[in-house]
Amino acid sequence: MKKYLLLGLSLILGASLWAQERTITGTVTDAETGESVPGANVVVKGTTNGTITDFDGKYQISVGSDAVLVFTFVGYSPSEVEVGNRSVVNVGLNLDVEELAEVVVVGYGSQQKKEITSSVVALDEKEFNKGNINDPTQLLQGKVPGLSVYNKGGDPNSTSTIRLRGISTVGANTEPLVVIDGVIGASLQNVDPNDIESINVLKDGSAAAIYGSRGSSGVILVTTKKGKRGGGVTANYNGYVAAATILNEQPVMSASEYLAAGGNDLGAQTDWQDEVTRTGVSNVHNIAISGGAENTTFRLSTNFRDINGILDKSGFDQINARANISHYALNDKLKINFNMSLTNRKSNYSFNEALRYAALYNPTAPVRFDNGEFFQAVLFDNFNPKAILEQNINDGKKKELNFNIMAEYNITDALSFTVNYGQQYDNTLNGEFYPSTSFFRGLNRTGLARRYTEDGRFSLVEGYGTYSAKFSSVDMTVSAGYSYQENFREGLLLELGNFPTDDLGYYGIDLSGNRVLGLASNVNVDSWATPDEKIIAFFGRANFTIDDAIFLNASVRREGSTKLGVDNQWGIFPALGAGVDLNKYLALTGVDILKLRVGYGVTGSLPPASGYSKQGVGYGFNEGGAFSVTRDANPDLKWEEKTEINLGVDFGLMSKLTGSVDVYTRNVSDFLQLFTPEASGGGNTTPYWNNIGSLTTNGAEISLNYDAVTTPDLTWTTGVVASSYKSTLDDFIVDIPTVVGNLGAPGQNSTFMIRVAEGEDIGQIWGPVYDYVDENGAPVMKDLNGDGEIVADQGSALAENGDFEVLGNGLPALELGWTNQVTYKNWDFNAFFRGAFGHSLVNTYRAFYEPIDPGAINSYNRIKSDKAVDGLTVSQFSSLYVERADFFKLDNVTVGYNFDMSNSSAFKSIRLYANIQNAFVITNYSGIDPEPVLQDRGALDNGARFDPANQNVLAPGIDRRYNYFTARTFTFGVNIGF
Amino acid sequence: MKYLNKNTLLIALLFSGFACTDLEEDLNDSLTERQDVNNPGFGASTNVNGSIPNDGLTPAFSTIRNGVAWHGSYFSVSEISTDEAVITQKGGDWFDGGIWLNMHRHDFRSTNPGLNGAWGDIYGGVAQCNNLLGEGGLSDNAVAQLRVLRAYYFWKLMDMFGNIKLTVTAGVDVPQSTRTEAFNFIEAEILAVVDDLGEGRADYGRISQGAAYALLARLYLNAEVYTGTARWQDAIDAADMVINSGNYDLDYTYQEGPDGRMVSAVFSPDNVDNIEHILVAPFDEATGGGMNLAQMTLHYPSQLTYDLQEQPWNGYSTLEEFYNSYDDADMRKDANFIAGPQTDINGNPILDVAFDKADPDGAPINYTPAINELAPNGSRQAGARLGKFSFKLGQINDMDNDYTLLRYGDVLLMKAEALCRRDGNWANAEAISLVNMIRDRAGLDGYTTMTEDTFFAERGREMFQESIRRTDLIRFRRWGNEWWEKDSYAFDYNDYRAIMPIPLDQINASAAGIQLEQNPGYN
Repeated sequence: MKKYLLLGLSLILGASLWAQERTITGTVTDAETGESVPGANVVVKGTTNGTITDFDGKYQISVGSDAVLVFTFVGYSPSEVEVGNRSVVNVGLNLDVEELAEVVVVGYGSQQKKEITSSVVALDEKEFNKGNINDPTQLLQGKVPGLSVYNKGGDPNSTSTIRLRGISTVGANTEPLVVIDGVIGASLQNVDPNDIESINVLKDGSAAAIYGSRGSSGVILVTTKKGKRGGGVTANYNGYVAAATILNEQPVMSASEYLAAGGNDLGAQTDWQDEVTRTGVSNVHNIAISGGAENTTFRLSTNFRDINGILDKSGFDQINARANISHYALNDKLKINFNMSLTNRKSNYSFNEALRYAALYNPTAPVRFDNGEFFQAVLFDNFNPKAILEQNINDGKKKELNFNIMAEYNITDALSFTVNYGQQYDNTLNGEFYPSTSFFRGLNRTGLARRYTEDGRFSLVEGYGTYSAKFSSVDMTVSAGYSYQENFREGLLLELGNFPTDDLGYYGIDLSGNRVLGLASNVNVDSWATPDEKIIAFFGRANFTIDDAIFLNASVRREGSTKLGVDNQWGIFPALGAGVDLNKYLALTGVDILKLRVGYGVTGSLPPASGYSKQGVGYGFNEGGAFSVTRDANPDLKWEEKTEINLGVDFGLMSKLTGSVDVYTRNVSDFLQLFTPEASGGGNTTPYWNNIGSLTTNGAEISLNYDAVTTPDLTWTTGVVASSYKSTLDDFIVDIPTVVGNLGAPGQNSTFMIRVAEGEDIGQIWGPVYDYVDENGAPVMKDLNGDGEIVADQGSALAENGDFEVLGNGLPALELGWTNQVTYKNWDFNAFFRGAFGHSLVNTYRAFYEPIDPGAINSYNRIKSDKAVDGLTVSQFSSLYVERADFFKLDNVTVGYNFDMSNSSAFKSIRLYANIQNAFVITNYSGIDPEPVLQDRGALDNGARFDPANQNVLAPGIDRRYNYFTARTFTFGVNIGF
Repeated sequence: MKYLNKNTLLIALLFSGFACTDLEEDLNDSLTERQDVNNPGFGASTNVNGSIPNDGLTPAFSTIRNGVAWHGSYFSVSEISTDEAVITQKGGDWFDGGIWLNMHRHDFRSTNPGLNGAWGDIYGGVAQCNNLLGEGGLSDNAVAQLRVLRAYYFWKLMDMFGNIKLTVTAGVDVPQSTRTEAFNFIEAEILAVVDDLGEGRADYGRISQGAAYALLARLYLNAEVYTGTARWQDAIDAADMVINSGNYDLDYTYQEGPDGRMVSAVFSPDNVDNIEHILVAPFDEATGGGMNLAQMTLHYPSQLTYDLQEQPWNGYSTLEEFYNSYDDADMRKDANFIAGPQTDINGNPILDVAFDKADPDGAPINYTPAINELAPNGSRQAGARLGKFSFKLGQINDMDNDYTLLRYGDVLLMKAEALCRRDGNWANAEAISLVNMIRDRAGLDGYTTMTEDTFFAERGREMFQESIRRTDLIRFRRWGNEWWEKDSYAFDYNDYRAIMPIPLDQINASAAGIQLEQNPGYN
């Protein structure tokens, strides 16, 4: 086929043929084995003149003078030879080990890396982030272009916000689908970072479409470590101790500064932030034993984590155990995998609110009165932070168990069937207690106790068959399968107050006086359950490789969900991809690989809750109790659908530089959001899930990897990933612009800071522009439209004559990661820098507490910053508090030393290392942490609780007052192989 | 065919076992149809509230409480836009984007969340009336009650917003009606069913003829505002139907509250089925939540005076001029306001450790009727607080007081006013005698003569905190007057500010159905 192709090309560009002068012959061999290499490409560099070697590796080609021949073959590094005046040119090709070995796990199977036509990034263990990492997503932070992982502050008990290629959905699940060892929707919290071998990220729609309705936000495939066949038994120990210290405190006034600024003197001097924080010392130990006999392999590991955060009392103890066992039978035709993992975590959530009140509490207030009781002032949103931590309890336990059995049967070499059955269970049991002496949440309840438990079960049954065939130069693989997923969750909440004693904590909840006094509002009980949420799917895929250089992939998934309207339950999610290894035809000198690929795919998203296609009926205790219809049915509820086109280039140059460039456009239509209907529209008024708009994200990503130094003693590999995207709201049910993201109390309710409008970018921070301070200490805003009238009150944010403008964007324009790995003899050194640029944050601490407000300074300490305006006494949102938050940081840096164990019988290897996370941060942002805030949790004041279901992705960029303080962590560790 | 061995069959069997495609959604924890209540009336026996009938109308009637004594809805708009209540900006506290300052200064914005709250709360009630009426199977009396309740909701909407949607069928959207059309509809609805209502006092929390006629009296009294045509005699006749029924009377009882004030039994936490009540929002801490006036008005440390479960917000107070309109001998002065130095339940002064340096009282809290300024630095302790619906010790955030929507005292004053206006004589003898009934109850001497000003002042003192001041100021053409920090403007019934703007959120959401149009004069 290629000959014809080349002939065709030659005829079209025939001029070069006529320039030939003489004939060269030769043999292409494997440099290591000396065996001939048939089918290798031989091309005259810079021309389209080429041929391929015959069955014996021989070739013949006509060349002009000064010709350079380029020899390439799949799996080998290219070789260039100057012909000179020789007539015979024999070449030995070296195996390109890396390229051959790279088999990449994709949905329901694996492909050779070169065959992949979509945007897939594979990371193995040595590329992961280093340090005290407890959340597997942190391993990837900054490493995958287009994958944003942010855990602001780094509370050890919170998980990161993850986004792939920006906003993929508004109201549905924004986090990528996680698949662990083939189990869809598995929990990342049940995998210890020590047990992960590799993580693959399917970024674009053509790769993710095989996962259908759950693939819209991307797919993260995790492969855990396994034993090796016939490898004998090995044991490894990894352990470290880490110390977390505060990187940044809120810059607030000291007691003397506070008094000088006019604060009321309460007689003491207290550094509240110091009172509630500490150096958090953590210990982590991992022991793994793996091995393999002829037909069975296993790996058993146990992980122990004792993690302590910088907020006093915050942290967790965790034990995780994992067993991966594989067995081969029937002459290796049958392979059975069994994976099981158990995590048992006991957390002390502590109270992040204490950090906020520590920043704001009067610095002249004593921690305690002389009689030993905690000092308290009865003021709004104002609690002694030390008392919050010392008096109250907020802890919990979480257990997760999952297992799966996967059987793969090869009927012939060409045909195989795979069956996978998995289950995952989780159980949470939390407790909170606020004694009668606590002002925070407990005041005048005579104690308050809360118990919450939640239980979940997820089951998966999947089966698929794969058939492979080869027709002349076409390799074909076809798969088809069935998937059944069932999810069920239930929970119980109990909150009661009024206790005869505080001594029993939340275990004394049965002594609650509210049981006899019986006010519905004092007896908070909720027992809830989801239905059996089912997803059923049929899927198929076909891969064709033509001429070992042209790759075609197609897949389709037909999937149904219980959550949608009866006529809209089933959807079809197709994908198409094509790629071509151009260099096979161009044979450019110094080019190892040059692959062009294009992918198109459709994925979906489901509403997060069930039952919304049906009418909702509520029960009220009011006046003797009654059922009433509260929510209208939405039988039209359907998939949110994402269509994505991805265009990519993979290249390798001179065996030193490799890289990829991807550009994409993704269109999300019928996006889901909780919609509040018009009250006067004749129907009921409770919000319901509805498909209400569409958005487009365009982006580009690049990753480069360069082997800068490759001497035996010294190696240096450096890599850069960068990504950029922009999301636009194309269509919204509300035709005219709206504003969202309320600043909140005290005093700045109805202050909406983010603009949402059709045809505009998502994440625009919107507000008046500060001009000067007037004689009353109030800010005067700029007359932006020049009409001689300043209309800058928040009620006019969208008025025609309003003086408002875009003050920044909450989403970064550029995200960057820069990896460096150096080895020198027995030393290894790793430095990873990370940055984000172009995003702004509303510094809400400053917006509330920076002006020297004579009324408020007595309630709240003042924030100091170089951006403060002298004489300003009135807190009012404006451009003053919107800050560019570009940053560049040394995210983590490691130095390790490998001891020479060649003479030791006891140990195979010993490595010692030291690591610093958040070594330094360069930023102009005056708040604690310049990392972007991708979604808004709303203003939470006066002890209000965070509702995870209530996050707005259309309102990024608001740095709220409840974030954990950022830590700088020092880690010392050892890896031992036995 | 060589692949078709027993293994293949086994696998084929396995696959056919998977081929489940059933996507029936069986909800475990949500109802999709209304049910009969197994134990109707359980609530009535366990709370201090009266006995609410098991008539199946609760889904509609329970909406009557929505927003009438809660921040950010009908109550807030009705009070803060007038000269009887204000929320001052206290430095960094209570600025809230200027929404309540704008409201008080009559700079009405369609983005004000209070307007959206009022619109949503009231139409939520309309929807529940329509749901029950649509289900059918109701007695004539039940239908009559629902239609009058819905007419009451439409009156509130028409009074506040003018051009409203008269939605009368569940799930059916309709175009906006003019204010006159709405007036005519409300009048016709009440008249169509009034004879089907009970003649005596209504069941607790329900409607009888008294409420229907009192509502008609209010409608007719304001008819000139709504339609341009006065209906004074109709107002008098409707009021007479209430007065002559013999079902209602003035309650003279004043009793001591936990803060030592003498408070009126008509508005106290135990005011269940007071003789003066014609239509109430029946609040109850256990089974009828939604009243948190204590939280809205008291300063933070006043939590210790009443042992409140939730911390108050230091928001609402009354204007000095309004407070001073009460004679010291007026029993309502002590009953309606919380003023002066405050103590905890043991009698010790309560402190605001964050007191303003400029405040001569220092840390001990003293609610002074004088307020230094509306914004930006209103004193934290300034302003007499709203205490007509009085508080009880250990109160939770849901108060027990039934909120008076229509009451006998109001009907007496409505009749008096209609008489004066019909005759063009504010010294009308019958009117004076009606007003003097009210003054007598307040411990005051009767008027010997009366002017529009003295009548208006008396009505203001009597109806304080009952969400009617806005309607009264408009009817008396005093809506554009200057008071304290609110500027004057020329006002007549055609001024665009006589009605509020349609809430922007509603206009936006209406794009899915029949688009709402903004009222003239607002953008």
